[in-house]
Amino acid sequence: MLSFLIWFPIFAAIIIFLIPGKRGSYFYCFFALSVSLITFVYSLVVAGKFDVSLPAIQLRESFVWLKWLGLTYDLGIDGLSLPLVILNSFLTSIAIYVSKRETERPRFYYALILLLMGSVNGAFLAQNLLLFFLFYEIEIVPLYFLIAVWGGSRRGYAATKFLLYTALSGILILISFLGLVWFSGESTFAFEALKSHSLPVKTQILLLIPLLIGLFIKIPIFPFHTWLPDAHVEASTPISVLLAGVLLKLGTYALLRFGVGLFLQGWVAIAPYLAYIAANSALYGAMCAISQKDMKKVVAFSSIAHMAYVLLAAAATTRLSLQASILQMVSHGLISALLFILVGIVYETTGSRDVDYLRGLLNPQKGLPITGSLMILGVMASAGIPGMIGFISEFLVFRGSFPIFPIPTLLCMVGTGLTAVYFLLMVNKVFFGRLTPELANLPPVSWLDEAPAIIIASLIVLFGLQPHFVTGWSDNEAVILFYGSQETVSTVIPGVSQNSM
Amino acid sequence: MVDFLIKHIWWIPLYGLLGAILTLPWALGLIRETGQRPAAYINLLMTFLSFLHGSIVFLNINQRPSETLDFPWFTIADLHLSFTIEISPISSGALELVTTISLVAQLFALGYMEKDWSLARFYGLMGFFEAALGGIAISDSLLLSYGLLEMLTLSTYLLVGFWYAQPLVVEAARDAFLTKRVGDILLLMGIVALSSYGAGLNFSQLREWAQSHPLSDFTATLVGLALIAGPTGKCAQFPLNLWLDEAMEAPNPASVMRNSIVVCAGAYILIKLQPVFTISRIASDTLIIIGTITAIGASLIALAQIDIKRALSHSTSAYLGLVFIAVGLGHTDIAFLILFSHGVAKALLFLSVGAVIYTTNDQNITEMGGLWSKMPATTLAYMTGSGGIVGLLPLGMLITFSRWFDGRLEVSWWLLSILIVVNFLNALNFTRVFRAVFLGDCQPKTRRAPEVPWPMALPMVSLTIITLIAPLVPLQYNLWLSPNPPILENHNPVVFYAIPLIILSGLAGVVVACFIPLYRGFSRPVQKTLRLLQDLLAYDFYLDRIYKMTVVSLVANISRFTSWCDRYIVDGVVNLVTLMTIFGGNTLRYNTSGQSQFYLLTILMGVTLLIWWVLSSQWQNIINYWSSF
Repeated sequence: MLSFLIWFPIFAAIIIFLIPGKRGSYFYCFFALSVSLITFVYSLVVAGKFDVSLPAIQLRESFVWLKWLGLTYDLGIDGLSLPLVILNSFLTSIAIYVSKRETERPRFYYALILLLMGSVNGAFLAQNLLLFFLFYEIEIVPLYFLIAVWGGSRRGYAATKFLLYTALSGILILISFLGLVWFSGESTFAFEALKSHSLPVKTQILLLIPLLIGLFIKIPIFPFHTWLPDAHVEASTPISVLLAGVLLKLGTYALLRFGVGLFLQGWVAIAPYLAYIAANSALYGAMCAISQKDMKKVVAFSSIAHMAYVLLAAAATTRLSLQASILQMVSHGLISALLFILVGIVYETTGSRDVDYLRGLLNPQKGLPITGSLMILGVMASAGIPGMIGFISEFLVFRGSFPIFPIPTLLCMVGTGLTAVYFLLMVNKVFFGRLTPELANLPPVSWLDEAPAIIIASLIVLFGLQPHFVTGWSDNEAVILFYGSQETVSTVIPGVSQNSM
Repeated sequence: MVDFLIKHIWWIPLYGLLGAILTLPWALGLIRETGQRPAAYINLLMTFLSFLHGSIVFLNINQRPSETLDFPWFTIADLHLSFTIEISPISSGALELVTTISLVAQLFALGYMEKDWSLARFYGLMGFFEAALGGIAISDSLLLSYGLLEMLTLSTYLLVGFWYAQPLVVEAARDAFLTKRVGDILLLMGIVALSSYGAGLNFSQLREWAQSHPLSDFTATLVGLALIAGPTGKCAQFPLNLWLDEAMEAPNPASVMRNSIVVCAGAYILIKLQPVFTISRIASDTLIIIGTITAIGASLIALAQIDIKRALSHSTSAYLGLVFIAVGLGHTDIAFLILFSHGVAKALLFLSVGAVIYTTNDQNITEMGGLWSKMPATTLAYMTGSGGIVGLLPLGMLITFSRWFDGRLEVSWWLLSILIVVNFLNALNFTRVFRAVFLGDCQPKTRRAPEVPWPMALPMVSLTIITLIAPLVPLQYNLWLSPNPPILENHNPVVFYAIPLIILSGLAGVVVACFIPLYRGFSRPVQKTLRLLQDLLAYDFYLDRIYKMTVVSLVANISRFTSWCDRYIVDGVVNLVTLMTIFGGNTLRYNTSGQSQFYLLTILMGVTLLIWWVLSSQWQNIINYWSSF
């Protein structure tokens, strides 16, 4: 039944191509929206069938595809992939809704978005390394076109940069996977078969390094991040939503699934370095965000900073930090999606994203009061004000990582403090102050345009008050990834806890 | 019924929150037909409800033992998070203070904010404020209190930035948020550390944990300092004190709340955390040092202010500094009483100041004068309020001080001398402001100054009465927080001389203030030293400039440097690689000339190089091989 989540959008994408006749873009939008909504509802049904109490990968589907290559079509879902699959279906629906009604070449556009949705779902569900890699590579193609065709003025540069970076990341991941199969002497790429092998720690580290560099590009972690701000600035709003909300999560997902799942001992051995890399990236992203003038760049750099927390929590590898990292992924997905939608609305109405040009948009009569209020909410959620999902996810990340890596955790908390600085500067400049005459007669934003932002904002508050709606799925995730050890890894494997206190 | 109300004490903050949520349709402009007034009435009703509920609880709680209610929030991995509510005389007393001041301030706002176009937003934020404060009053969980403190930070930001079209307001809102955020992040670090080191996050658990904690001295000190940082920001203590002064740009009813009870929220948590500070000597000493610096420094700064609200807001910092000293000494009950006495009286002072500002549309005290005969209720309120804060008349603060020096707590000369200095300076300051505003000749701005209308006069007069009967609280107060105080022998001379000396210092302040010359209009002394001194105080010891030159410019420069690096070095390397690839490709394409001789040459050269490379390390062997023939 999981195949539906992958192939339904992909078939729908093909059907969009095949529908004869020239129709208005509204038709394609409606079609794509219904497909994505059906997928979203179906993902909720899958969640209903998912047994939380069972520490196993569930709802398996499997048949041998290419035996000589070790490629099996093997799908499954667990507490790590389930929230991300739901997030993907949800944010894709939002992105399709947000897409401008009068898109150029709508047929191509919506087909690509659906293709993207299906392939990302595939990557989240694949239980075979090669299958994951296939979906991971397929997903690059539609995204490349979505940036390169519907992007801003420097879209060619940004899209090519994205393509080259991500292709490199794919190659590095493939190298690591091939090496793993080679060293373990298996004839298959199946996740569980490979997991049962325990390679020497040095070999694990050797294989882990290309994997990590590949994923650092995707997440992105400093210094492999430079494609992200460019891609965000050039991409249109819905694509930014998908990019920040879902696609970055592919990197952190693979980090947990394959980095922690397959190379646990090697992972723990280099975890202290990873924690510092995460802290460095968090501070670097925050520092860069402070001096940006483009609202989208501010949000893009904040993405870099906030995704680094996932790496920090993953490096700590305790039960708590593992669940916290999943929550942080969902949290970042929702918050960054909200912020990008709102920046998109500001850009649509004012024609600018320049923080030095925009001023006083909170004005209730002529400005964008609702957008402004939602922006304040989103910014506060991102800065970790309690009552919203950003606080609890960050709190759990810090609480989970502190016992293992106190200093990197404290550095990351400084980064959280800096979040308030750059976002507050942005909100203060753009929304506070007196509305300038050039901006005085903005077209009113209709409720229909605000609706997605309002939905996401209410989810941010809801999950902030009831975080177990998200964390509840991953209660047994530690067992799956740590392979049976109920306790924290740090207590199982000596060496980490000693140099921590 | 009473039992039910006491059990559901946690509804009280929710009333405020509900009121805030109900104002949303008006605040967001969804309902325009009715005007903004209904939102204000809804909030007033909700606040009145919470006041009523709180009062019933407060009046009936004395006979009951204190208890706690536990609301599990959620469990993740091995971490259980729960919200604990404390039902005790202390918590209900704090809650009563919050609801009373909030009711008074909101009633006052009905008049003060009458002409404002976004009354609903204001009342919504006030309701939010009240909810967060009420929550802190009854919370027994550090995590919940932290969350509520952050809600306070957020609503302070929004309330200070209420008139966001003015540039000064925008700056003030930003500074208030960021300054408090610095403290909050450090506090969060402390909470994460405490929780990681095995302490529960309830105050009672922390108390037990502090007695047998596993930390080294160094770590304990760091944790203690981190926990102090949060309240330092909230209570506007040095070095995080400047935001309160700037926050005076906010509407006055919000300033009433802020100066009386919002600053108390941080101190209240400090009081609850006091057992944790006992684990580190340095932490409790730091509390005393911060408190002393702020108490004296802020009192001095207040002397040179000519903005009426700023002159009073610095004295708020000063009295909160006394609270810090009391907590540092472990005198938590006294800390609580100072908070109470100061809160009530300061709220009254700010009401009267609000009335003056409302009538004169002016905040500059050098442009005022002669208001006493025109605004009698306001004058009376100001006198009562300052009387309640200065230790001179037998009102709240003097009674509190006398409890401090009644021989049951360990006190020493230095504490008394700090109190004397602070008391003297504040008496001086309040009398100075009083003379400038209410006495003397009328000036253009105060010539036509009718007394304020009843929505403002009523809360002001009621609070005047409350301030007059407030001394009953410190008189009747049982030492709930530390029931077994160290009792001294009564021979301690400090105890004998303390109260007369404090009264004397208050009197001296008043007398000196009566005889110093007051300048009308903007004036600076001719004498150079005096002028330097006045500037030093008037510009808050130049703290803001020091911050601008150090912290702010440091962050700004690092950020600029990082982004430059990002743009030209990190991204530059990437682009360089790309360029080189393209350049390489462009150059190499001239090789494809089509001449087969050229290809042959290339192949030959390649093969030669390859052979050379393969054989390069083998030459010696080859030579040896051939030479053996």
